[in-house]
Amino acid sequence: MTNEEKLNELLKQRGINPEQLTAITMEDILAQAEGCTHLMDIYYTLKNTVDMEYPYWYNRVWQENDGDITIVRRAKAMAAALSHMTVTIQPYEKLVMNKTRNVRGAFPFPWVTASFFNAQAEALMSEADAPALSEADAVSIVGEGGGNVTKSYGNIISLAKKFGIRKEEIPVLVEVSKSWNGNSVEELSNKYARYTPGYQLEQNIMESVLCMFDSYCIPQGREVMNYYLPLQYGWDGIIDLCDQRIEETMGESDGDGILGMGRGYYYVAMKIIAQGMSKWCQNYADRAHYLASIETDAVFKKNYEEIEAVMAHIAHKAPQTFRQALQLTLACHYGVVNEDPQSGQSIGRIGQVLQPFYEKDIREGITTEEEVIELLEFYRIKITCIECFASAGVTGGVLSGNTFNNLSLGGLNRDGLSAVTPLEYHIIEAGMRCRTTQPTLSILYDEKTPESFLMKAASCTKLGMGYPAWMNNQTGMNFMMMNYGPEGMNLQDARAWCLGGCLESSPCCFLPLEYDGKITWIPGGAGPTAGSGVHFVGLPKVLELVLTNGYDHRMKRQILPAHNRKLDSLEAVQEEWVNYLKQIIDVVNKVNNLQMDIWRKHCMPIVNSLLKPDCFTKGRDLGMMGGRYNATINFESCGTITFVNALSSLYKNVYKDKKYTLEQMLEAMLHNFGFKTSYETGVFSPDFREATDEASKYAQIFADCLNAPKFGNADWEADQFLKWYEDTMFGLTRSFQSYYGKPLYMCQISVSTHGPQGFVTLADAAGRLAGTTYSDGSVSAAAGTDKNGIYAIFESATVYDHGTQQNAQMNLKLHPSAVNGVQGTRKLLDIVRAYMRKGGFHVQFNIVDSKTLRDAQAKPENYRDLMVRVAGFTQYWCEIGKPIQDEVIYRTEYENA
Amino acid sequence: MIMKHIDCKNYIYLDCEKGMCALSKAILPIDGKGSDACPRFVTAEKCGCCLHFTNPDSHNLGTCNGFEKENWTYASCGAASCEHFKMK
Repeated sequence: MTNEEKLNELLKQRGINPEQLTAITMEDILAQAEGCTHLMDIYYTLKNTVDMEYPYWYNRVWQENDGDITIVRRAKAMAAALSHMTVTIQPYEKLVMNKTRNVRGAFPFPWVTASFFNAQAEALMSEADAPALSEADAVSIVGEGGGNVTKSYGNIISLAKKFGIRKEEIPVLVEVSKSWNGNSVEELSNKYARYTPGYQLEQNIMESVLCMFDSYCIPQGREVMNYYLPLQYGWDGIIDLCDQRIEETMGESDGDGILGMGRGYYYVAMKIIAQGMSKWCQNYADRAHYLASIETDAVFKKNYEEIEAVMAHIAHKAPQTFRQALQLTLACHYGVVNEDPQSGQSIGRIGQVLQPFYEKDIREGITTEEEVIELLEFYRIKITCIECFASAGVTGGVLSGNTFNNLSLGGLNRDGLSAVTPLEYHIIEAGMRCRTTQPTLSILYDEKTPESFLMKAASCTKLGMGYPAWMNNQTGMNFMMMNYGPEGMNLQDARAWCLGGCLESSPCCFLPLEYDGKITWIPGGAGPTAGSGVHFVGLPKVLELVLTNGYDHRMKRQILPAHNRKLDSLEAVQEEWVNYLKQIIDVVNKVNNLQMDIWRKHCMPIVNSLLKPDCFTKGRDLGMMGGRYNATINFESCGTITFVNALSSLYKNVYKDKKYTLEQMLEAMLHNFGFKTSYETGVFSPDFREATDEASKYAQIFADCLNAPKFGNADWEADQFLKWYEDTMFGLTRSFQSYYGKPLYMCQISVSTHGPQGFVTLADAAGRLAGTTYSDGSVSAAAGTDKNGIYAIFESATVYDHGTQQNAQMNLKLHPSAVNGVQGTRKLLDIVRAYMRKGGFHVQFNIVDSKTLRDAQAKPENYRDLMVRVAGFTQYWCEIGKPIQDEVIYRTEYENA
Repeated sequence: MIMKHIDCKNYIYLDCEKGMCALSKAILPIDGKGSDACPRFVTAEKCGCCLHFTNPDSHNLGTCNGFEKENWTYASCGAASCEHFKMK
């Protein structure tokens, strides 16, 4: 019997039809729906666009309601903004709604941050007043990198190096921004942050990019949506419920002298926003009605009529079909992402949430499996179009332009059995047919997850889009119990968890959906954002400052107070590193607490505070801890393994073997080991080196640094430092409190910050050169340093309990030949399984040939649809910055799994 | 005044440089050659063509007196969903 025959026999024993699985090749995957092809053809031509309709209406109604109760005032402003935007429905669409009238549309939030627009008002107006351009100029497109508008051209002004805004809207942007001069969340935060002890230290930290994110920039997201209330009651039902609760609570403190009276205002606000959401949906029905009235093509006409029927229904009533339910979840999603700059507002386990609707429709012949898959393909395009307007540093430097609307699959249900549903197979199938960056897919791997489902997911991962990623369900549950147990989380709610954002384990719960004559316990998000706190601290940069006594040689400034300690042992280095980190967290946390406190007082979530349990039960918004679980705010790290490798080399070369003094090591680092820096070469990949005249002087120490033990080789001499780091950080982060009065914890995702934070960091003791990117993720080996194969990395990565932190991120790059055929699928699943069984939390794959990536970097015009996995997200190659491109190319590529 | 595709009710917004015609399904530029409206033009509801829009300045910011409280607005703001829109 051949190996293939043995495998097939084994699969049959497990109840899997091997013929079905072996049949999955690139050629055999069905093409995406024709309508999706049309929409994607347009998508690839689209520019990210800002327009001012939403901000205009928000600002107008906010100002007109000056003096009203804040939550009510904000609900009125948001409802007006949503319900007045121009509606866009494209031909071929079956699911509708957008953030704005533009397909990849977004808008600024001057009530969150207005200083840039006010400071630049004159310059912006000059651009708006510039004489009309010649026709040739007006149509000359200089934007580059997919939909990014990195430069102004014609009548389009570039904002945040990503969005285009038309000149005629600049005066509107300036006028709206004026209203928020001095009272945006950003400016109020800055005003009060000055009272914070150590404020100047915080400024130093941010200016040196030691830490690179202010919480107000993205005050919501990195959490999981909850669709229960609208699915159960519809907007009209929610409005009725609000009326009931207003009657019950208005004027009643109910024993709570601080928050009790606020309930009445909360329900008034919820009623207003439910009415706004209803009107917004109705506007789409009305537009579809108009489009149907002018349409001559029978197919398009029917399509518009169907959209009208769906939107008119969900504008008022609870959904009665799968299509209505899916469309309603989209409406909720857009409603939430339009209330703040957001990234990582995740979809959650929607294949379990919508299973009852799917099941009924299939049973009653209302729809077919193929029609469901088609709708799910349309859904992918809709989510891919979600954009976020923030500063260039946040949008590009942190997020790589992605908004991380993660969709989780698998895990366990409330009864502790596999939660996988038939609909979830279709979600994966749609992801295989319609290859878009979003929603990224995440498998909650559990030993109870059906083998056929895992094989289906592995078949998808093999296609090279970077999804699904794989997360350890039990490890996630362990973190839930550890972090949210003190707030009362029980095992049942722990089973509801999933990913919010790219890799943030988020608290969720099950709620009883009554539909189709039965109750189904559906999972959904149950906490506020995990996207704020102390974000992102460059761990190697902190070590650099320990060695330089707090002086930043790049900025030529003292950044941290001099410790003036003789670093005569590695323990001394580690202690000073911890001391510096404590100072950083202390002051950055205080300032971020202020930012988020001001945000929740002035810009509290509205739609999200309607949807998230238990806000509606308590009568309290999400900012005031209306959610069920609130210990979500965290510390985010960057460059873990770069830091670990640097410690390992210091230990080996300076303190253990005493081959060099610390002064000699520092001198070599300051001279970049005799190579040009990446600032000089413009290449950020750690493997690129261009020697200077001094190279020979540092050749030996450089070689010794490179040869020091490295993480990822199952070598305790290096791995011990990861263990020390994780154990230290567990207690350290928990000694600080968020604005919710809850302890911080560790979130270990770098997103794209390993590019900019690597950029500001000098050469390190492990031989990484100045300005090059840090290692990606938190337990990925530094590129080129893992010599003993994938299983050795797994050994190194699991020297600590991953369940103690929110996540641990591992990226692997495999050559496509390593996972060829059905045996390749099995190998891939074996890799995942091996890591999960060791307790690894997460692994994701780029299955791509590095040659392809190099060619794409040289000729981006030939690779508009090429996608890569960066951190916990997939992004179009042409829309990510060069440092991250370099880093992805350089990741170790495994040719054998 | 030459009307543009973008001012037509049948214009479907795509991005800052183009849209689509709901009738022909053709991609339409906002600027330059090919941006002028066709004979099938139907005026889109925007603040600029509302009876309640007055006193526009050089940037087409004007006054909206269609609501209980008068306020400023801008001519290119979409008004198809505005409860007080009245075509001039």
